[in-house]
Amino acid sequence: MKEEKTIEEIEKMLEESEQKKEEYFSGWQREKADFINYKKQEFERLKGTLCIAKESLFEEIIPVLDNFRLAEKAISEEDKNNKSVVGLLMIKKQLEDVVKALGLEEIESIGKAFDPALHEAIEEVEGGEVGIIAEEVEKGYSYNGKILRPSKVKVGK
Amino acid sequence: MSKILGIDLGTAITKSASIVNGEPKALENREGSILTPSIVAQTKGGERVVGILAQRQAITNPKNTVSAVKRFIGRRFSDAEVQKELKLLPYETREKSDGGVEVKMGDKWYNPIEISSMILQKVKADAKDKLGEDVKNVVITCPANFDDSQRKATIAAGEIAGFNVLRVINEPTAAALAYGFGKKDAQKILVYDFGGGTFDVTILDVSPEVVEVLATGGETHLGGNDFDQRIIDWILTEFKKEQGIDLAKDPLALQRLKEAAEKAKTELSSAMETNINLPFITSDADGPKHLEYKISRSQFDSMTNDLITRSIDRVKQTLEEIKMDRGEINEVILVGGTTLIPAARDAVKNFFGKEPNKSINPEEVVAIGAAIEAEILTAKEEGRTPEGDIKSVLLLDVLPLSLGIETLGGVSTPMIMKNTTIPTSGSQVFSTAVDNQSSVEINVLQGERSMASDNRSLGKFVLDGIPPSPRGIPQVEVKFDIDANGILTVTAIDKASNKSQSIKVEGSIGLSKEDIEKMKKDAEINAADDQKKKEMIEAKNIADNLIYQSEKTIKEGGEKVSAELKKEAEDKISELKKVKDGDNIEDIKKRTEELSQAIQKVGAAMYQATQQQPQEPKKEEGPENAPEAETEKE
Repeated sequence: MKEEKTIEEIEKMLEESEQKKEEYFSGWQREKADFINYKKQEFERLKGTLCIAKESLFEEIIPVLDNFRLAEKAISEEDKNNKSVVGLLMIKKQLEDVVKALGLEEIESIGKAFDPALHEAIEEVEGGEVGIIAEEVEKGYSYNGKILRPSKVKVGK
Repeated sequence: MSKILGIDLGTAITKSASIVNGEPKALENREGSILTPSIVAQTKGGERVVGILAQRQAITNPKNTVSAVKRFIGRRFSDAEVQKELKLLPYETREKSDGGVEVKMGDKWYNPIEISSMILQKVKADAKDKLGEDVKNVVITCPANFDDSQRKATIAAGEIAGFNVLRVINEPTAAALAYGFGKKDAQKILVYDFGGGTFDVTILDVSPEVVEVLATGGETHLGGNDFDQRIIDWILTEFKKEQGIDLAKDPLALQRLKEAAEKAKTELSSAMETNINLPFITSDADGPKHLEYKISRSQFDSMTNDLITRSIDRVKQTLEEIKMDRGEINEVILVGGTTLIPAARDAVKNFFGKEPNKSINPEEVVAIGAAIEAEILTAKEEGRTPEGDIKSVLLLDVLPLSLGIETLGGVSTPMIMKNTTIPTSGSQVFSTAVDNQSSVEINVLQGERSMASDNRSLGKFVLDGIPPSPRGIPQVEVKFDIDANGILTVTAIDKASNKSQSIKVEGSIGLSKEDIEKMKKDAEINAADDQKKKEMIEAKNIADNLIYQSEKTIKEGGEKVSAELKKEAEDKISELKKVKDGDNIEDIKKRTEELSQAIQKVGAAMYQATQQQPQEPKKEEGPENAPEAETEKE
């Protein structure tokens, strides 16, 4: 009688062990798979991080470009041929070329149909064609397909 | 296991969060921001756009751009408050047959539930993009003072969007859940929610069973925008005083100034001072005008002091309404972007005499709390443990202090760095320091210090029987292995003879918290000193090795080079020998470099001699600095 109970007990223990084994084994497999997936995700994220690093660099440089443009607009006709002014404008061009080479793209606007995915309307103006961008107030930029900043535009009404 | 979402459906901005890799995390939308404006529009081309896109075209299409419908959801058109709000809207509204509100977009009339569902549909699509799968189960938040019909309408909006709305919970409750309050004991919690346009204060009684709202208060028109406006007003006044030009009349200049003011406000949360530079802001007959101001945090604080005082007065008032003393509040939680302003944080801290909870980003905390609730409810439904709560089941420890061995010159060389999750293992290959060395002693060390003697020795053992060979040739692999119970096994194997020796360290890896903290602190305090000592030893080791290699080179090939070259190298050797046991690291480095150059000349001459006599090929060890302990990571 005692013997039988022991066998029962052993069977129960075995069953429990089997269950535990199953649980641990699947847990281990899952963990393994999770890790492999994690590594893949991490790789993707690393690629993403590079983009983000560039994006934040561009976000700092774009306002400088804005100011260069404002400066250029403010140059009077008589100053336009001043050698120092010409030199400074060459620096502006250099900066534009550098960011372009790094992948920063300018969003086209004037003459295009207004598209909220690319442009932000700040005013409607008389005269132009309806729904067509008449004036660009601030240049917009994209990098790697992402809009870093939409162009600020005036749209014809 | 299905993915879930927590959604903070706001009047102006909607945010969402999910559980990603076991952690609650705010999700970015397709445009790359965690903030989605709660705006829906039908463009002139008949296309429906939601969020930032709707906002960008609002000026050209105000009649078909619908914002802030949360103010009307589940409410009656005839409500006095609704009537007041309706007057401010650019889009058309009317009373629905059932007494509710309807808004016009394009040629069609929609009720606020439908508009809200369009926002939620975008949230759903964006989440699918981010999480890689469709999301069904969600928890949506609403203000604490929403009534039953407003809550029902919120649920309806979620279901129309295709979600299974598990629950609608109060925004302050979600914040309390994000911090995990009320899990054990009942707590009185005050939520100080200072957003972009509104200020809300809520007092909660949170217990494991139930969350009760004890009181709510606030101001509907007090927020971060008012702080920006103060900076703008200050600059407008200053600029007018100095230049005589009113920038407020120039919409473009004002727009630039607004953006700059917001940026300055944000910067002043971390910096003590910031610059507002707006070149070519305007021009007059004298030419272009530039705007340049410096603003310090204390200047900003004094400009905005009254706004913060107003919020604290509201807190006082709300406490008074339920006759509660500030001392009875157990925890204070900060919600909303404006609480990032240090002065706001300080005011709350001073008022309650305790540090408020602010570790979770105040802009995300509500969505995060909702996501946690959604995960708990979904896990229950699916009969599993909530993700992110796995730690309670499987506890994986981390190594509190680095483990390593002692190498040449008494340096502690780490094998497994601190904070590594265990079980883990690591191995490196080492070599001998002198010719014909037949045994190596492995001294197992624990601690962060650079020198072995400053760390704790966990045990030592000797591996002998290494076949006689010149130093640097034998390869002894040392392997550290720690199992899940923290038992460390260190094994050393001589790769040539395959002889191995090992030691098992049980229990002693686990030090008391105090000991660990002390050891970490010691390491920090002595870091600079330790580094110097280590550099010194490394310099000596390099010098020692170069002397050895140089002597060997001269001995083996000295007859092939001129006496002059040989003499120079020998002189340099004796010079280096003289300084290498001293304490002047610069001297040692200098002499080492000199010897290195001298011996290179010898090497080059030997090479030329060998080329001229090709019949005598002789293998050379090369005079370059062969490392003392060759290491090779697995």
